[in-house]
Amino acid sequence: MTALNIKLLRDLVRLRWQALAIALVLSAATATFIMSQGVHTSLMQTRDAYYARNGFADVFSGLVRAPRDAMASIAAIPGVQHTEGRIQHYATLDMPGRVEPVRALFNTIDEAGGDRLNRVTLRRGRLPRPGQPHEILVDEAFAKANGLLPGARVQALVHGRRLSLLIVGIGMAPDFVYALGLGEILPDNARFGVFWMGRKALEAATDRVEAVNSVSVRLARDASLPDVIRAIDHVLARYGGTGAYGRADHLSHAFIDNELQQLAAITRVIPPVFLIVATFLVYIVLGRMIATERSQIGLLKAFGYTDAAVGGHYLKLAMVIALLATLIGTTAGIRMGSAMTRLYAGYYHFPFLDYIVSPGLVLAATALSLATAGLGALGGVRSAVRLSPAEAMSPPRPPAYRAGSLEQLGRRLGFSAIGHMIVRHIARWPGRSAITVLGVAMAGGLLFSNLQFIDSSRTMIDGFFFRAQRQDFTVSFIEPHRRDVLFALARIPGVLRVEPARSLPVRLINGTKSERTSIESTDINSQLSLRIDSSGAAITQPERGLMLSRQLANTLGVRAGQRLQVEMLSGRRGTASLAVARIVDEYIGKRAYAGEAMLAVLARDEVPVGAALLRIDPAARDAILTRLKTMPQVLGVTEKAAALAKFEAMIDDNLLTMIIFYVGFAGAIVVGVVYNSARIIHSERAHELATLRVLGYFRSEVGLVLVGELALLVLLALPLACLIGYGLAQLMTAMFSSDLFRLPFAPDRASYGWSMLIVLLAATATAGSVARRVRNLDMVRTLKARD
Amino acid sequence: MMEPAFGPGALPGSFAAAGLGKLYRSGSAEVHALRGVDLAIAKGEMLVLLGPSGSGKSTLLNILGGLDRPTSGRLWFGDLELTGLDDAGLTRFRRAQVGFIFQFYNLIPSLTALENVRLVTDIAERPMDADDALAQVGLAARRDYYPAQLSGGEQQRVAVARAIAKQPQLLLCDEPTGALDSATGIRVLETLAQANRRLGATVVIITHNAGIAAMADRVIHFLDGRIAREIINRQPAQPAQISW
Repeated sequence: MTALNIKLLRDLVRLRWQALAIALVLSAATATFIMSQGVHTSLMQTRDAYYARNGFADVFSGLVRAPRDAMASIAAIPGVQHTEGRIQHYATLDMPGRVEPVRALFNTIDEAGGDRLNRVTLRRGRLPRPGQPHEILVDEAFAKANGLLPGARVQALVHGRRLSLLIVGIGMAPDFVYALGLGEILPDNARFGVFWMGRKALEAATDRVEAVNSVSVRLARDASLPDVIRAIDHVLARYGGTGAYGRADHLSHAFIDNELQQLAAITRVIPPVFLIVATFLVYIVLGRMIATERSQIGLLKAFGYTDAAVGGHYLKLAMVIALLATLIGTTAGIRMGSAMTRLYAGYYHFPFLDYIVSPGLVLAATALSLATAGLGALGGVRSAVRLSPAEAMSPPRPPAYRAGSLEQLGRRLGFSAIGHMIVRHIARWPGRSAITVLGVAMAGGLLFSNLQFIDSSRTMIDGFFFRAQRQDFTVSFIEPHRRDVLFALARIPGVLRVEPARSLPVRLINGTKSERTSIESTDINSQLSLRIDSSGAAITQPERGLMLSRQLANTLGVRAGQRLQVEMLSGRRGTASLAVARIVDEYIGKRAYAGEAMLAVLARDEVPVGAALLRIDPAARDAILTRLKTMPQVLGVTEKAAALAKFEAMIDDNLLTMIIFYVGFAGAIVVGVVYNSARIIHSERAHELATLRVLGYFRSEVGLVLVGELALLVLLALPLACLIGYGLAQLMTAMFSSDLFRLPFAPDRASYGWSMLIVLLAATATAGSVARRVRNLDMVRTLKARD
Repeated sequence: MMEPAFGPGALPGSFAAAGLGKLYRSGSAEVHALRGVDLAIAKGEMLVLLGPSGSGKSTLLNILGGLDRPTSGRLWFGDLELTGLDDAGLTRFRRAQVGFIFQFYNLIPSLTALENVRLVTDIAERPMDADDALAQVGLAARRDYYPAQLSGGEQQRVAVARAIAKQPQLLLCDEPTGALDSATGIRVLETLAQANRRLGATVVIITHNAGIAAMADRVIHFLDGRIAREIINRQPAQPAQISW
C-alpha cells in the first residue's frame, strides 16, 4: 500500500464518527431509493408477470344478459384477439355464528380449466367438477380470513335460492388482486369474497342458461382501445351493456396503479432531500479537513506529488464514505423494502410477491452515492489542487472578524463576551452556518411532510365517515326497487331512519374527453348523506343539473355552467345534455351527483331506489342484520363502522411503518448535520475553548460556546423547517393523489410541534455528545499546538 | 526572602511545593517531566525559570497555575492545597487568583481587544475596569480592534491586560516575549513589572532569553526535571536596562 493510501486509511479512522454521520445521511438516500424503487419494480414486475401468466383482460364490460352466442360478434370486432363471457353474480352468505353481512361475488369458471382470460391460479384443492353443481372455488384471502379449507361448506343465498356449497379449492385471479366489495372503499377479506362456480352450475343457479352478463376481451397488439370500446358498446347496447372500459378503469388495476404512482413519488421526492444534505456535509467536512491539512498538502506537493494525486487523495476519502453509505443504505433499504412488500402483500393478492432487488438497482444507488459525495468533495478537492506548496506550508492567516450589523444588535442587547463569540463565529462562516440551518430544516421538513399524512388521513376519515356519511348501514338491492321497499325496511324494529339512494352508470362526455362513472342521487333533504367539500362545509345538491367532484370536472375539463353529454349505461339507454351546476372538492373518487327527481327523469323509470341508507339504534344492530339477511331483495349491507375500523387499521399499519422510517431518516440527517457541525466548530475553536478554561471558565460555561452556536443554528432552522415541510407536504400530497382519492392537505399544529420536538431531541443528544469533548479538552496540549 | 515552608500550607499569596513529580506515560514509554521539586515562592516575588526545552519548567508553571496536576508531591497556595482540588476547584483557583500570558497570546479572534479583557472581568471576583486594564498597557485607543487587526506586540499587550484585569495574586508567563521583537518585548516586560509592583502579584516567567533573568528577584535553572541551581538577584534590573 502506498504511503498516501495509508494516510487515507488513518484519516478515515480518525474521522470515523464524522464519516459515519455523513454516511448515515447518504445511506438514508440509498435506503429510500432502494426501498421505494425496489418495491415499485417488484410490484410492477409481479403484477405484469401475473397478468401475463393468467391472461388478465384488456377490456371489460358488464351487461344485463346476452346469449353466449353474442360473444362471436365481439370476437369479430377488429382489434379483438380473444373474448370470453362469464356470469358475475353477487350473493349473500350465511356464515354460522356471524351476524354481520358477508357477501360473495360468484364467477363462472370453466371446469376443464379452459379459460384463457382472468384465469384462476389454484392454490389448494382442485377445480369444481362438471356435474357437481355445488362445488366451488374460494379466493385465498377470504378463505384465510374466515378459516375456510377445502372440504368446508358455506351456505349462500344465490338469486333467491338457498344453496349449500362445498369448497373444493382455494384460488386467486388477476382481476381480483385488490378485491373490493360493492360500495366499499377498502377490502375487507372477512366480509367479501370472490367465488368461482362451474359454468353450468352458476348458469342454472342464476337462471342464465347459455347466457353471460360480463365480457372480457384481450386486444390484439395494434388495437385501438377507444375504437374497440366503442365497438363493444355498440354490440352490447341491445344486451344492456353498462359501458366497456379498459384496464385503467378496472378497480383492482387502478388501485395497484395508484400504489405504483405513490411509490414513484416517494422515489422522486425523498432521496433528493438526503442527497442535497449529504452533498453539503461532504463539502463542509472535507473543506475543514483540507484547511487543517494545509501544511501536509504543501509538503506532499513539495515532495513532488502532482496536483491530481493530492486531489485524488481527498476525492478517495469522499468515495470511501459513499461506498460505506451504499453498504448501509442497501442493507437498510432491502430490510425496509421487504417490510413494505409484506405490508402490500396483505392488501394485494398475488400468488407471490417477493421483494426483488436487481443488481442494476444497487448499481444505480451506488452511482448516486458516489456522484453525491463526488459533487460535495469538488470544492475541497479544488482548493487542495490550487494550493501552491509555499503558500500551503506557511500558516494560514488568522480568521478576520469584523463588526457587522449583527454587532449593533449584540451591543444593544448587551451580549456577554461569550454571546459575541457565538454570534460572530456564525457570521464569520455564513455558508457553513447556512448549511447547518438548511440541513436541520430539511430534516424537520421531511419529518413534518410525512407526519402530516396522519392529519391528512384523519381529515379524510372525518369528512368521509363522519360528516358525509351519516348512515350506519347501506343496504343494496339485487335490482332497483320501488319506494315501498323503504317502508319494509323502516318497519324493522330499531331502524330509526331510512333514505333512498341510487346510482346510475353513465358515461360523461365533454367533446373528446369522456369518463365512465355513476351519477349518485340521494334525497334532496337527506339527513344521512351529505356532500362535504374540502373545507368541511355541507354542500346542498342543486335541484337541476349535475354536481361534479373537482377531480371529475378536471378530467373532463368542465367548469360550472358548462354542459355535458350524459350517456346512460343501464336501464333505458339514451343520451341527454345536462348542465354542470356545481363543482365540489371531495376526497374520494371521481363522482357525479344529481337530485333524486332528476335522476328518475334521466333513467326514465319509476323505480328510483337502488339502495337504502339506514340509521339504526346500535342496540338493535344484530337483530337488524339478521332480519336483513332474510329479505330476498337485499343484496348486501355495508356497515360504516366496519369500514371505518378497516380504514383506521390500514392507516395505523401503513403510517406507523412509514413514521418509524421517517423519524429514523430525519434523525439521521439531524445527527449527520449537527454532529459534523459540532465537530468542526469544536476543532476550529479548540484553542479558544482551552483559553477560556485557562482563564477560569468552568466546563459548563465553555461548553456553552459550542452548544450555544449549535442551539442558535438549530433554532433558526425550526421556522425554516416548517416552511420546507409545508411546501414538501403540499408537493407530496398532490403527487399521492390519484383518480381514486385525493388527499386533503390539512396539517395539524401538533404535527409541526412533533416534528420540531423530534428534531430538537436529536440535535440536543448529538450536540451533547460532542459537548462532552470539552470535558476531555487538554488545555496544556491544545494551547501548545498552533493550528 | 523567606525560607521555604514545607509544612501544611504557606503564607497567604505564597506557594509551597514539596516533592512535586510529574510522570507522563505514553504506551510503554515513561517521561519524568518533574522529579521531586521542592520550592517556595513568596508573595510578590518575581521569579524567572530558565532551562532547556523539556527540562520541566513549563510543567511546573502549569501545575502552579492549576492547569495540570502533579503525579506525586503536594502543593499549597496559601492554606489552599492545590493537589487536593478537583477540576472545579482548580477552575475556581484560576478564576480567582491566576493570570496567564502565553507566547502566542491566545486571544479569542472573534472578540475585540476590550471584549477579550471583558472575558475575564465578566467572571472575576474583584476585577478592574476593562478599559482601565487596556489603558494600563497603552491600548485604550485600540479597544475596538479585533486581534487580526493588531500587531503581535499589541496582541500580547492585550493578553497582559487580560491577565492583570482580574487583579490576580499570581501572574504566570510562558515565553511572553518569545514572539516579539526587543522593543515590543521590553514594553511587555515593563507592563509585567508594573503589575508586580502595583498589584503585589507574584510573577513567574519562563523564558529562553537569559537577559530577562536580570529583572527577576530570583532565577531558577531547570535541568532534567529538577532545580539545577537558584540565583538570588539582590538588585533586579529595570526592563529597559535588559540587554536582549
